[in-house]
Amino acid sequence: MSARYLARQSAQAAFTIVMIVLLNFLLFRMMPGSPDRVNPRNPNITAEQREAAKARWGLDKPLIPDQLVAFVGSTLQGDLGYSMKFQGQSVVKVIGDRFWPTILLIGLAELIAIVLGLALGAYTGWRRGGLADRIGNGLSLILYSMPYFVIGMPLIIIFAAGLGLFPTSGMLTAGASYDGPLDFLADLVSHLVLPVATISLGLIGGYSILMRSSVTETRAEDYIATARAKGLTDGKILRSHAIPNALLPAVTLIAINLGYVVGGAITAEIVFNWPGLGTLTVDALNSRDYPVLQGIFLFLGVSVVVANFAADVVYGYLDPRVRR
Amino acid sequence: MTAAPVSPAGVRRARWRLRVRNARAFGRRYAARTDGVVGAAILVFFAALALAPALFVGPLQTVTIATAGALEPPSSAHLLGTDEVGRDLLNLTVHGARVSMVIGLLATLITILLGAIIGIVSGFVGGRSDQVLMRFTDFFLVLPTFVLAIVLAPLILDIVGTDAEVFGIRATLMVIIVVIGVTSWASTARVIRSQTLSVRERMFVDRARVIGGSRAHIMRRHILPNVVNLIVANTVLTFAGAIFTETTLSFIGLGDPFAPSWGQLLNAAQGSGAPGLGAWWYIAPPAFCVVVVILAFTLVGNALDDVLNPKAGIRR
Amino acid sequence: MTALEGRAVARGRRQWPLPKQADPDAPLLVVEGLTTHFRLGRQTVHAVDDVSFTLNDGEALGIAGESGCGKTTTALSLLRLLPSNAEVVAGSVRLFGIDLLTKSDNALRRYRWREISIIFQGAMNALNPVRRVGDQIAEPMMERQGLAKGAAARRAGELLELVGVPRARGRAYPHELSGGMRQRAMIAMALACDPAVIIGDEPTTALDVMVQAQILELLEDLRSTLGLSLILITHDLSVLAETCDRVMIMYAGRVAEEGPVGRVYRAPRHPYTQMLLAAFPDVHSGRRDLGTIPGMPPDLRTPPPGCRFHPRCPAAMEVCRTEVPPEVTFGDRVRVACHLYPPGSDGTPRSLPPVRGAGAEVGQ
Repeated sequence: MSARYLARQSAQAAFTIVMIVLLNFLLFRMMPGSPDRVNPRNPNITAEQREAAKARWGLDKPLIPDQLVAFVGSTLQGDLGYSMKFQGQSVVKVIGDRFWPTILLIGLAELIAIVLGLALGAYTGWRRGGLADRIGNGLSLILYSMPYFVIGMPLIIIFAAGLGLFPTSGMLTAGASYDGPLDFLADLVSHLVLPVATISLGLIGGYSILMRSSVTETRAEDYIATARAKGLTDGKILRSHAIPNALLPAVTLIAINLGYVVGGAITAEIVFNWPGLGTLTVDALNSRDYPVLQGIFLFLGVSVVVANFAADVVYGYLDPRVRR
Repeated sequence: MTAAPVSPAGVRRARWRLRVRNARAFGRRYAARTDGVVGAAILVFFAALALAPALFVGPLQTVTIATAGALEPPSSAHLLGTDEVGRDLLNLTVHGARVSMVIGLLATLITILLGAIIGIVSGFVGGRSDQVLMRFTDFFLVLPTFVLAIVLAPLILDIVGTDAEVFGIRATLMVIIVVIGVTSWASTARVIRSQTLSVRERMFVDRARVIGGSRAHIMRRHILPNVVNLIVANTVLTFAGAIFTETTLSFIGLGDPFAPSWGQLLNAAQGSGAPGLGAWWYIAPPAFCVVVVILAFTLVGNALDDVLNPKAGIRR
Repeated sequence: MTALEGRAVARGRRQWPLPKQADPDAPLLVVEGLTTHFRLGRQTVHAVDDVSFTLNDGEALGIAGESGCGKTTTALSLLRLLPSNAEVVAGSVRLFGIDLLTKSDNALRRYRWREISIIFQGAMNALNPVRRVGDQIAEPMMERQGLAKGAAARRAGELLELVGVPRARGRAYPHELSGGMRQRAMIAMALACDPAVIIGDEPTTALDVMVQAQILELLEDLRSTLGLSLILITHDLSVLAETCDRVMIMYAGRVAEEGPVGRVYRAPRHPYTQMLLAAFPDVHSGRRDLGTIPGMPPDLRTPPPGCRFHPRCPAAMEVCRTEVPPEVTFGDRVRVACHLYPPGSDGTPRSLPPVRGAGAEVGQ
């Protein structure tokens, strides 16, 4: 992989992050009233904190360039302001506490969805026709049309409330004490199953539909004919020739999708009362805790950009034509 | 054949006949796709509900006129049961159709307008403007626009005030419409731009330029008709996405309890603990409607795409 | 010298064992009555109809004709490499006397690439864009002959050198090579399992003239050093004249004329062959108007009855409309299917008053 390709992708990522920070600054300025009036409304900040914040953000100085510079500066230093709802804790701390549960959820779900969705799509795309293909396609289409929480709610009703197989909400059983790490893990896993299933099901539909059409298109390419003429077995052709090429649009889709997955995960967390960024967002929304909302936006925005960058690297690894 | 020149009226007539013939051919090809026909039928049904909900179930029940008990399962009196304040869920669901569809429609219009204008201009003009516009578009593609929507909506609401009304639509809903439109246009713009690029390459556009048509004229008369097919298919699919997003935003709490969309109903259901209580009748109707409508739009959109933009397929 | 060249020197026939069922005295490839149909919706396209030919060891046979005349389909039918809506409905393909068409798909796989390999038109699309060229050349050796990775890679390097590509370029991806190099790589790939027959499907059509000449020269060299048998498919008659021993002219899925290149080109018998040759510019002849063949090839969903060329043939007779012309072989080993040369003919065309007047002169 040429250094030039990596440099180009990093530059784009950096540029996007800069734009996100700028956008955040705009939002910051859009808050009702001006910022210095917001903080005084927060009863939980001490007077010293208020003064320090005022100075740090240059609130008594002209807007551009001083406030902008101050804003960017404090953002880079990890100062995103104070939460209004959470007793004046810094936004960074509030977000930090909820970060890992969300990553765990999204990470697992994406992994499962990618593996299963792409495999399903590849298989049905290669062997078109037949009952399994039609059923698979129909199911994928239906799942693709369901918002995540619409998948989650019935799952709770059936498997948690109805059959009692899994807990109905939360990440860990409230007030539980564990005999050891295995016990903890078991509790965690039993709480993970339904939320992860929810998000995975939401993703699988789209991935499988895309991979199916991608494999179908690839199947008509000339190099597949060459592979057949070489006398390779059907399976070998699928694995060595069709899939590596069909994966390319899939990777692109997965990358583009990341922004939406994040959104969807928020709703899934609500349904399952998962203590992650999603429920934090809703709490902040309901209490109009703008500093936290903007912090989440900044944080998720940057995460998606980074993840996209990783996807670009993977794409470059898969497709030698873009690497120059 | 006579050598008489053709009158403008004759040209118009000929054009009209051509349009009718194309429309008939399109109708035939579309009717051959069962999935598209089923989807269209579903949409017609929901459109009917949305246009005149009171015709089917009477006026929207509010908290004050609710008479029944709370969270009652379906019965002969209430076919779909009641919600936590005793309102008939069939009534709420049917009225929800109107709210969801209207919001979806308006949001789609904004999305397509923005996306098409930016896409066509960018693809046609090319050069620096194209690069700048595409950077801008890509930025919006990467952004978790959903999160942006969540941040923007309350912000705008607080600035504007919740009781304001625009064109008879409450501010709460208007904000959702605008926010969906503003955050969803990017993929439409990309798709339309690439189609514009390929249309631009074609000869007849060059000929029009040689004859001396202005850029705006070329864009309107030559590029637009060839891009319209793609826009139509894209619009339908965007509508599906708009309903998807609106439902999700309402579910999170940005909806209007006084004009409940399906998403808002699901929000209320979640808030009243319906899933944990097993009150499936609260969740099933709006959820079912959402899924079916989105599915219908997707089917119609895919069918339209295949019929209007056929791609030669070589099977091996 | 390399192992390859050593083998070539010892070559009279193949050196490693023939397939168990092979008949060592049979000609290399005998195709008889090959008929292939395509299913298009509810209609059938009669793409190849009763095509027969023989390929002897070390020979180069050219198959020529307009686009859509069935040349490629014929070649693909030999190994049943057809799309899913196509089917070989009749005929036999005997390789070393073994009828390939009676084999199951799995059994047929054994013969692909190891006995008959193909060079496709347009190497850019025929090569997998995300894999290195050397790997693609080595692939059939590893998969089909069980060579270890290292041995296969080394042999791939040898093959690349043989076709005039520096060995190191094997590490490149297809898009990094020029058109000519890609085509050479395709040839190297076709040689990988040391096949008995190589089919070249318009191998030079997508290349510019200089590169075309180089590739043809390469094929010639390989033929003489390796004793390859070649089936060359093209619509470019000049290419055939250079490279092939015999040429088969096809029209609308049937064989019009077939014979040694010199004979067919200098004294074409079939009206279609004559018009085809008249349409080609000749450097040596004086200025003349290039002939054209009026009309279009027939729609093979509803091919015309009798001789398929009769609607466009200036010498068409009543019988041409109703009866399929039988194939007649002459002393100079030319085979023609035309009513002008009925069975027992001595080679001069029957001169009956033509049904249609005008048109190019028949016979020279």
